[in-house]
Amino acid sequence: MVSRREFLATSGSAIALAGLSPAALAAGAAKPKRIALVSTVWFYQSHTQHIGDRFLVGYPQEGHWHRPNMQIVSAYVDQKPAGDLSGERARSFGFTVYPTIAQALRRGGDKLAVDAVLIVGEHGDYPHNAKGQILYPRYEFFKQCVEVFERDARAVPVYNDKHLSYSFRKASEMVADSKRLKFPMLAGSSLPVTWRLPELELPLECEIDEALMVGVGSSDPMDYHALEAMQCMVERRRGGETGIKSVQLIEGPAVWQAGEQGRYSKCLLEAALSRSDKILGKTTEDARPQDLVGSGVLPKIVPQPAAYFIERRDGTRTTLLMLNGAVADYTFACRLKGSTDVLSTQFFLTPTPNVTYSASLGSKIEEMFATGVAPYPVERTQIVCGILESCLDSKVAGHSRLETPHLDVTYRAPAQSQFCRE
Amino acid sequence: MMGFPPGTRSHPPNLQIPSRNLSPRPTTRPRLAAVVTEYRKFSHAQHVVDRFLFGYGWEGRHHKPEADVVALYVDQRPASDLSRSRAAEFPQMRLAPTIADALTDGGRTLNVDGILLIGEHGTYPRNEKGQTLYPRYEFFTQIIDVFRKSGRSVPIFNDKHLSWSWDHAREMVATSRALGFPLMAGSSLPVTRRLPAIDFPYNESPTEVMAIGYGAVDSYDFHVLETIQCMVERRHGGETGVAAVQAIRGDDVWKRMSAGSWQAGGWDSRLFSACLCRSIQLGSARSGYSDIYPSDADVRKLVKTPVAYRIEYRDGLKATMLLLNGLVSDMTFAARLKGSKEILSCLMYLPHRDVCNFFSPLAHQAETMFLTGRSPRPLERTLLTTGLTAAGVESLWQGQKRIETPHLAVAYRVGDESTFWRT
Repeated sequence: MVSRREFLATSGSAIALAGLSPAALAAGAAKPKRIALVSTVWFYQSHTQHIGDRFLVGYPQEGHWHRPNMQIVSAYVDQKPAGDLSGERARSFGFTVYPTIAQALRRGGDKLAVDAVLIVGEHGDYPHNAKGQILYPRYEFFKQCVEVFERDARAVPVYNDKHLSYSFRKASEMVADSKRLKFPMLAGSSLPVTWRLPELELPLECEIDEALMVGVGSSDPMDYHALEAMQCMVERRRGGETGIKSVQLIEGPAVWQAGEQGRYSKCLLEAALSRSDKILGKTTEDARPQDLVGSGVLPKIVPQPAAYFIERRDGTRTTLLMLNGAVADYTFACRLKGSTDVLSTQFFLTPTPNVTYSASLGSKIEEMFATGVAPYPVERTQIVCGILESCLDSKVAGHSRLETPHLDVTYRAPAQSQFCRE
Repeated sequence: MMGFPPGTRSHPPNLQIPSRNLSPRPTTRPRLAAVVTEYRKFSHAQHVVDRFLFGYGWEGRHHKPEADVVALYVDQRPASDLSRSRAAEFPQMRLAPTIADALTDGGRTLNVDGILLIGEHGTYPRNEKGQTLYPRYEFFTQIIDVFRKSGRSVPIFNDKHLSWSWDHAREMVATSRALGFPLMAGSSLPVTRRLPAIDFPYNESPTEVMAIGYGAVDSYDFHVLETIQCMVERRHGGETGVAAVQAIRGDDVWKRMSAGSWQAGGWDSRLFSACLCRSIQLGSARSGYSDIYPSDADVRKLVKTPVAYRIEYRDGLKATMLLLNGLVSDMTFAARLKGSKEILSCLMYLPHRDVCNFFSPLAHQAETMFLTGRSPRPLERTLLTTGLTAAGVESLWQGQKRIETPHLAVAYRVGDESTFWRT
């Protein structure tokens, strides 16, 4: 075990000499922001470790090693199974792990004593509901923070990792709390901010004819990522996000039939899959490239396809296809109105264990903590919570189409691109 | 252009094929011969030839090259050989018993419009310097024999460096010029995706550059050297060639790392840091930390046998190539420009996982050459990097001695157009 002094002497000095960014040097004079980290579980390669470490040991940014002028000063960790790292991190970096969230935010005192809260409620042993959602206690964690804010008559910025909650009602309440108490709030995952291959940003106020996202992994953790990636693209359309009119989730051979019937564009599917760098099927046997759509092989290698049809209130058709067995990455394609060209890209999830995409996310969190302004609206995450929940409702309701008048979340995308390209 | 269905020939026999040498875009699909050392999963031949057979994702669609591989010569068939199964799947591709047979369709004269020469992987002897004697030159010589007998030449793509031998490489280049056929060589590094998607600013003057990679001497060093070369060749005045090379292995590399500057025998530490900060596969010496900037002690702990090549260009530019197995598993580049405090840096991204799509922009360049009769990359780049690779090996062989390289006075210029994969 390295002591804090040893740790900083070895890693910190090297960083100071070699890798500290000019921005960090300039900011060095300011008093570091104090962060409370509220986590479900903290083990190697958990979201908490990835995000938390960005604030403890810094991260690569634009060819420098950037160290935020911020300190994690307290933590709450809900579960501590074997492999827990919170004790080691607390000793190495000189912060305290408190038994309750309120104590972490007050640092053992009687008033809020931090400048920002980082909620990472991913991983850990929590129950599932009938829809297959893992009931991570993000809402419960958040509400305990809000209670401190209200009692102590002061609120600070909150970042909530991934979706706000498995429940749209709870997510909406969280967003409403942040507006009521006027504290900045950022949520979501790395997909919208990671590298894109190639660099693709839809023109602001473009008219989208149809958009299609391909994702992989299980529900509900991974479909959330794919829906969020699609959302950060389509929210840039003319008029901004208008809310969701209806959703339908279908599974199995019906997904292929829907393609034949034109419910989603096979042309867009070809474009999205052409962006994959992780093709499966026969490629895993002999490394061959494959025309997954043209060859007709998809039904053979994707035993459990799922299609999430999301109809927007302005009529825009958007579809997520979860194609486990075909590829192992996240790709997107869309066609703009009046154009025959298809735009497509891959949301690049950089390799483990570095997962530098979480550094891209860390920089957005840091930006909000430093400036008090979220770089993109929390409504993006809110609406994706709702889309996902309603799609899973459709799944358990016999894959029926569901009208979603409650998903009347409207917002505008930030004009500036937020993904990593420098 | 649409692909032909597998199992059918794309051309009737006895089709008149125009010369590739001087002709503009052909009206018929070029017929290609592939001459390879071995064709198995993950061999370069598999990656490149497969792209001509199956097509590949390119600019948002599945691209099927406008050329057909009609003959395949395979020098070695390990147990994992795929050549037979590929030939069965693509009957238009005939397995040829000899290189001459592949090029002549079993006849007497050249009967293809282009050649893929892929001499990487396979079991070949090593010389006393540790170089694997891949028979690229020997394959090339047999191809040239057919060209000479036929009184006609066609474009050749040569995968990776031209040869382990500088003399071979120089002769191959001279032959292509004497016979007037396009020769394209090199690897994917100059054309793969970059993070960020930047090119070396055209006509700027770098003072010192660095590339860090992984892998072995006489193998991946070539890729890292090519990474440097495809960037610095865009500098003011163009490429002037290399005056001297020194290769260092082992603890002496760490002494130079501590030196802190080129003048002191090492390198600019900001270049080193910039490269590490562009890596997305950076090793960690600290248990439980998945992405942490390494201290010098961490670097020493992670890397058992570091290798450095110090390259002195004739116009004064200094370059350091580092192979740091254990610290990184990717290839990065950094440059200090004259008159600027900023360091320019990027990752040359190689999307691994079975399909290895970094071969796509390479295959696309080869296809472009076969279709247009012009190589989209400078042959001199590969000539110089072939010489640099051999010089690095030679320096190590001579006890890590600094070697003057008057033979590497390879001068050339490139245009300002970027050719790496960004679409």
